[in-house]
Amino acid sequence: MDPAIEYHEQLTRRRFFEGAGLKVGGIALAGLLGEKTGAATRPLGTVSTSQVHPPLPGFPHFAPKAKRLIYLHMNGAPSQLDLFDHKPGLQKLFDTELPDSIRNNQRITTMTSGQSRLPVAPSMFPFQQCGKSGMWMSDLVPHMHEIADDIAMIKTVHTDAINHDPACTFVMTGSEVPGKPSLGSWLSYGLGSASNDLPAFVVFTPTFPKESQAQALFTRMWSSGFLPTKYDGVALRGSGDPVLYVKNPPGVNPGDRRTMLDALGRLNEKNFDRFGDPETQTRIAQYEMAFRMQSSVPELTDLGGESKATLDMYGPDVNKPGSYAHSAILARRLAERGTRVIQILHRGWDQHNRLPKLIQGQCRDVDQATAALIKDLKLRGMLEDTLVVFGGEFGRTVYSQGALTKDNYGRDHHPRNFCMWMAGGGIQGGKTYGETDDFSYNVVENPVHLNDLNATILHCMGIEYNHFSYPFQGLEQRLTGVEKRKILTDLLT
Amino acid sequence: MRTPGLALVLFSCFGLVGRAEESSTVSFHHEVRPVLSDACFACHGFDEKTREADLRLDTAEGAYADLGGYAAFVPGNPEKSEAWLRILSDDKDDVMPPPEHHRQLTDREKETLKKWIEQGAEYAEHWSFTSVEKPTPPAEVGTANPIDQFIRKRLANEGLEPAPEADKETLIRRVTLDLTGLPPTPKEVDAFLADKSSDAYETLVDGLLDRVTYGEHMARYWLDLARYADTHGLHLDNERSMWPYRDWVVRAFHENVPFDDFTRWQLAGDLLPEPTRDQQIASGFNRCNVTTSEGGSINEEWIYRYAVDRTTTTIEVWMGLTAGCAVCHDHKFDPLSMKDYYSMYAFFHSAADPAMDGNKIDTPPILKLTSPEEKEKLKQLDAKIAEVDGRIAAKVATLDYQDPAEQTPPPGVRKTETVWFEDAFPQNVKVESTGAALTLVTKEQGPVFSGGAAIKRTSKGTVGQDFFAGGASFDIPKGGTIFVHAYLDPEEPPEAIMIQFHVGGWNRRAIWGDQEKIGFGKPGTVEKVHMGALPKTGEWVCLEVPAAKLNLKPGTKVGGYAFTQFGGTTYWDRLGIRAETNPVTDPNWSWKVWTEQNQGKRNNDLPEGLRQLVRGKRADQWSEAETKRVKDFWLKTFYAGARDLLTPLEAEKAPFVAEKNQIEKDAPITFVMADLPEARESFVMERGQYDNPGEKVARNVPEFLPPLGPKPEGRDYNRLDLANWLVGGENPLTARVTVNRFWQQFMGTGIVKTSEDFGSQGEPPSHPALLDWLAAQFVEDGWDMKKLVKRIVTSQAYRQSSATSPELLAKDPENRLLARGPRFRLDAEVLRDQALYVSGLLVPTIGGKGVKPYQPENIWEPVGFGSSNTRYYKQDTGDALYRRSLYTFMKRTAPPPFMSSFDAPNREQPCHRRGRSNTPMQALQLMNDVQHVEAARNLAERMMKEGGETEVDRIRWAWRVVTARLPEADEEEIVRNALDQHRNRYASDEAAATELTSYGESEPDAEINRVELAAYTLVANLILNLDETVSKN
Repeated sequence: MDPAIEYHEQLTRRRFFEGAGLKVGGIALAGLLGEKTGAATRPLGTVSTSQVHPPLPGFPHFAPKAKRLIYLHMNGAPSQLDLFDHKPGLQKLFDTELPDSIRNNQRITTMTSGQSRLPVAPSMFPFQQCGKSGMWMSDLVPHMHEIADDIAMIKTVHTDAINHDPACTFVMTGSEVPGKPSLGSWLSYGLGSASNDLPAFVVFTPTFPKESQAQALFTRMWSSGFLPTKYDGVALRGSGDPVLYVKNPPGVNPGDRRTMLDALGRLNEKNFDRFGDPETQTRIAQYEMAFRMQSSVPELTDLGGESKATLDMYGPDVNKPGSYAHSAILARRLAERGTRVIQILHRGWDQHNRLPKLIQGQCRDVDQATAALIKDLKLRGMLEDTLVVFGGEFGRTVYSQGALTKDNYGRDHHPRNFCMWMAGGGIQGGKTYGETDDFSYNVVENPVHLNDLNATILHCMGIEYNHFSYPFQGLEQRLTGVEKRKILTDLLT
Repeated sequence: MRTPGLALVLFSCFGLVGRAEESSTVSFHHEVRPVLSDACFACHGFDEKTREADLRLDTAEGAYADLGGYAAFVPGNPEKSEAWLRILSDDKDDVMPPPEHHRQLTDREKETLKKWIEQGAEYAEHWSFTSVEKPTPPAEVGTANPIDQFIRKRLANEGLEPAPEADKETLIRRVTLDLTGLPPTPKEVDAFLADKSSDAYETLVDGLLDRVTYGEHMARYWLDLARYADTHGLHLDNERSMWPYRDWVVRAFHENVPFDDFTRWQLAGDLLPEPTRDQQIASGFNRCNVTTSEGGSINEEWIYRYAVDRTTTTIEVWMGLTAGCAVCHDHKFDPLSMKDYYSMYAFFHSAADPAMDGNKIDTPPILKLTSPEEKEKLKQLDAKIAEVDGRIAAKVATLDYQDPAEQTPPPGVRKTETVWFEDAFPQNVKVESTGAALTLVTKEQGPVFSGGAAIKRTSKGTVGQDFFAGGASFDIPKGGTIFVHAYLDPEEPPEAIMIQFHVGGWNRRAIWGDQEKIGFGKPGTVEKVHMGALPKTGEWVCLEVPAAKLNLKPGTKVGGYAFTQFGGTTYWDRLGIRAETNPVTDPNWSWKVWTEQNQGKRNNDLPEGLRQLVRGKRADQWSEAETKRVKDFWLKTFYAGARDLLTPLEAEKAPFVAEKNQIEKDAPITFVMADLPEARESFVMERGQYDNPGEKVARNVPEFLPPLGPKPEGRDYNRLDLANWLVGGENPLTARVTVNRFWQQFMGTGIVKTSEDFGSQGEPPSHPALLDWLAAQFVEDGWDMKKLVKRIVTSQAYRQSSATSPELLAKDPENRLLARGPRFRLDAEVLRDQALYVSGLLVPTIGGKGVKPYQPENIWEPVGFGSSNTRYYKQDTGDALYRRSLYTFMKRTAPPPFMSSFDAPNREQPCHRRGRSNTPMQALQLMNDVQHVEAARNLAERMMKEGGETEVDRIRWAWRVVTARLPEADEEEIVRNALDQHRNRYASDEAAATELTSYGESEPDAEINRVELAAYTLVANLILNLDETVSKN
């Protein structure tokens, strides 16, 4: 770690202890009661005087449009051709060979490179223009039609990787090689978090349809890489403890834990007297934070206070822990409570065959709840400072993998262009950006490299991507790599 | 341009941010170069491609060069130095570094630069690339230990005093944890306290260094560097068998293999003359990298990536240089060019492992670690098999075969029987099971219907099955009837039995008994045909299913089958299909028909050799000998007319084959390194792209370091030459980097803080002379690691008290000067092992396959790939729950939380130093994880049984077991208070007491009162969570 940063952190930490006048026992109970109500009533965006996760000095670089990020990652690579990239001209080209002029000898995976033909597979799903803006979307996502004017659709995102593992690593860490920090870790490192009793960066890995073709996820998609591990994403789990080990063991109630912690705090204070090590004081505070989490996490996951209208909006799965809909409403609740980054990784989008059938199941899982999340944030006045991002790790090919019929086809990996959308903090709704060729095979206008997108996300959060680095392996490492990046200013408010 | 005088220069500015030395000479290495490197070299450095204005500032030549009447640096004259004027400039077009550059100079840095120019702007080679000259330790009064002489000299310069020695209890706990990863027992503490001799501490250290727990503990650090894990790491992240390498590392530290051999074996064990087994296992270092088998991957890309991983890892681990940059462009800060990098890469680019790991546990090249007894047994079995094969061949020779297709008149229709299962699943298929692994019983072990063995499966209250899909297939003949033999255990019969067939998917099933019990398939369709009640138990019954009933049409290929049951015990034997056939057209009767059908095709039932022959050459072109080989094989394997004759012999052979397979299956496997017989050509890969080769390169070491030595006769340089070069004593980096890592391990921070980066972007050493002295001494001592460790832990610097004051903290927050002893949080493994050890739960078994201790549900499952064999975490039971953490199964894409929450790396890349975070997640884990709660309860039991009669005695006892010291009176009082409160509460809620004390697999002593035990459990939980307990003090 950079010594200057470390020094500053220590100062901040020391200030926290001095300022808060931390006295174990006394503050503990006060903290429990006060902070708990405080969390719900504290106006959004205000920073508590004793921040557990302070930002880096000088961060954000400028007033951010978005204070938090909700990243909806559709793992496996959803087909842009069947969702958002409308290519009506393909219908009459059904089962014709992909022209060489389009294919252009670009690399394709070894799953289809041996195929004797690359026949064009038009989408079997009707498209329509949605909202005032007339944004094209297919009938697979009817609920998203309703948020068309809130989102900016980018049709020309492209990536470097052609296979899932490297591409997932790339989309989340800006590098294909494992070991780099994830986007969420970067953000919680730079910006800290407004919540004192919940983690700064939370990750969901919801369930997905049984018959879907699911790719693997990797903890490196939310891990802190070479940053300190306190910036790791914390998985909020659908079954078992929502946060690891947050529940007391059987037969231990909060009162027992309080008794134990009071004794522990006093003994640790004595140990601080013995050694004078500031880490001891940090440890005392972290045990108290752990205790607060033991009540704040159950409070977070208790949907009892949500209105029926809200719950209905997210759809029938909303009360099913571990479902995408449940994760989506929890994402909103976390956003309200000051968590900086929330990431939902929904699996099952890898449709090499039987795409028309399988993609319907995937959309049933995410369409309604995704639209509901946007609407819900908007109703609460939070969309304007919450950035929401939706998309996969790459796109899918226009040509069919395997047998092709009008209503059955598969699609292989396609890194050259795919669709992602952004909404909320700092983003203009109703915009469509970039254009692809008639086959959705090449970008013809306004390419957006994934690291441009990441630079834009940082920008919305008040960070200049090129001034956000961390020294590691002899380099000033950046989320966005070493090259100059493009901020998508056309989409910004 | 070497600077032998380097060692004599002592600096006082490092480790103390914000302090510059008052007077004297500015150091190029330590003060100037880091600034130039950071602020200037990106545009004016080594990399020609990005060099601006044709100016380089990383060499004296470049900096002094006449740029047309002026120069960047004019020694002695800042006012004439263009670079200095630019730094001072107000003009935003002129000023350097440019305003948009991420790095701007501070006033202090400017001052330093100015002073340096005034003093002559002298360039010197980067400190770590100069050869190590052993300095003379400064003769400081009060200590004879060279380490302390260096440390004290520096402290004196800073006006600081060393701390007094830590008290003996703190000291023994510190050093025992540091050398073995476990705390001392009270008995060991007593012995140490009682030993009043002057060398008591040394005796203690010697004893600890001898323990095998030392090997285990030291291995951990190395495994972080080696990126050791039990899965492949990418995509499916399937299991790989690599643990014999991990056990070798333990052994190497325990046996104190000198670091030079330690290096040679790991980088080139396979290339040593007649390598020992250990040397071959050690070569697995270079097989620990992550690999993939993701569908669609491009082979060349992955061959390239693996070589890059190995190169970068080697350079990082042994040379402490960050080579990653040079993969794509010349290093901007260090003199490592792309050519240097790819010349090193050429050593690793010809590795024999495949691009795709096959998602296998045994991706070649591997070593099978059969014992000498097993080897002998295999020899005997081979002889027995060969003997039966001889008799089979003799029988085949007696067959007077007449092809029915060539007979006139043609023979009539015959009844046939094709056996799909007899004694074994088809060769080369992957047999899978639900429940325990496949069990075959012989006649001695249970009922067998025919041949030499039958399947036995027990699956109490659940579905159990043995099956395969893919790798072999069977044809459905016309009018066929499938048959299978089942024997239901009369004592515990199953509730339903089922056979299933795979035709492009599992979609044909026949079931007997309660069809609700087995969930597969839709009842009433061919996916689930109910055949009636369960057959009679206690005897072999032949069950028959007409193929038509399952809609298996003639000519259909069945690609797999399954024996399935619900509950009870079932024996299965002899599965096949009966039909009437016309021998004239049946390939199992007519040789002519078989050859016509098979030539030009890949037939997986043929052994290697014959398969290629049949596929690659038309039958009419076979030589006489070739025809005989194929035909003999056909006769003995496929020809239906020989079945009656050969089946008894095959039955005789089957148990031998089964035993042989079992031994081979059970032999531990470990990945080893090997090179291809023919080396691949290596090139500089432009921009680091696998498909963009540039200049061709030969194996070599970086130009700026000492040369590799004369080229060997008759062969190219190889990895062994590289290893020898690293540990030959001339290399300025290897010893420095290595001793620094040991120092870091014990003192908390390296003498070079960036232990992974000794280049110019790394931090310079806080005590350069000490580093060189340690490095030189290490080499002189024959790279003796234990001697080095002992030297460090017996120094006063290590032994002093770690108590600090606000003043000292302000002056030296990171303890770089060592005016106090090291104090920091214990590592992930040590925390868990310590809890198990003090509670008496720890099972000290050494080595073996990775174990799966307690882990919360849903760590693997939410991330695992559908067909990954590490998708579902199946927790072990019994002893495996309590092994040392080193032996925990490491799945890279979802590492165990007890490791990752405490900063353990996921082993995707080498890790030189772990973080030491302090988080609420850690607090939750140490308080609530079943492993820690169970440990607390077992410690509580020990308190009650071994700790004495009174509360106070017991508290004191536990406190001492955990911290090595007795509690002070007020500490005791706080704990006693807590105990009272817990006791009162559990007395009023005995159910809660029972719940708490039943947590975990181990059983509490039935004699002990649960209320008392629960109260003591929370007290033990308290003691195990003390800041003092989780830290080395």
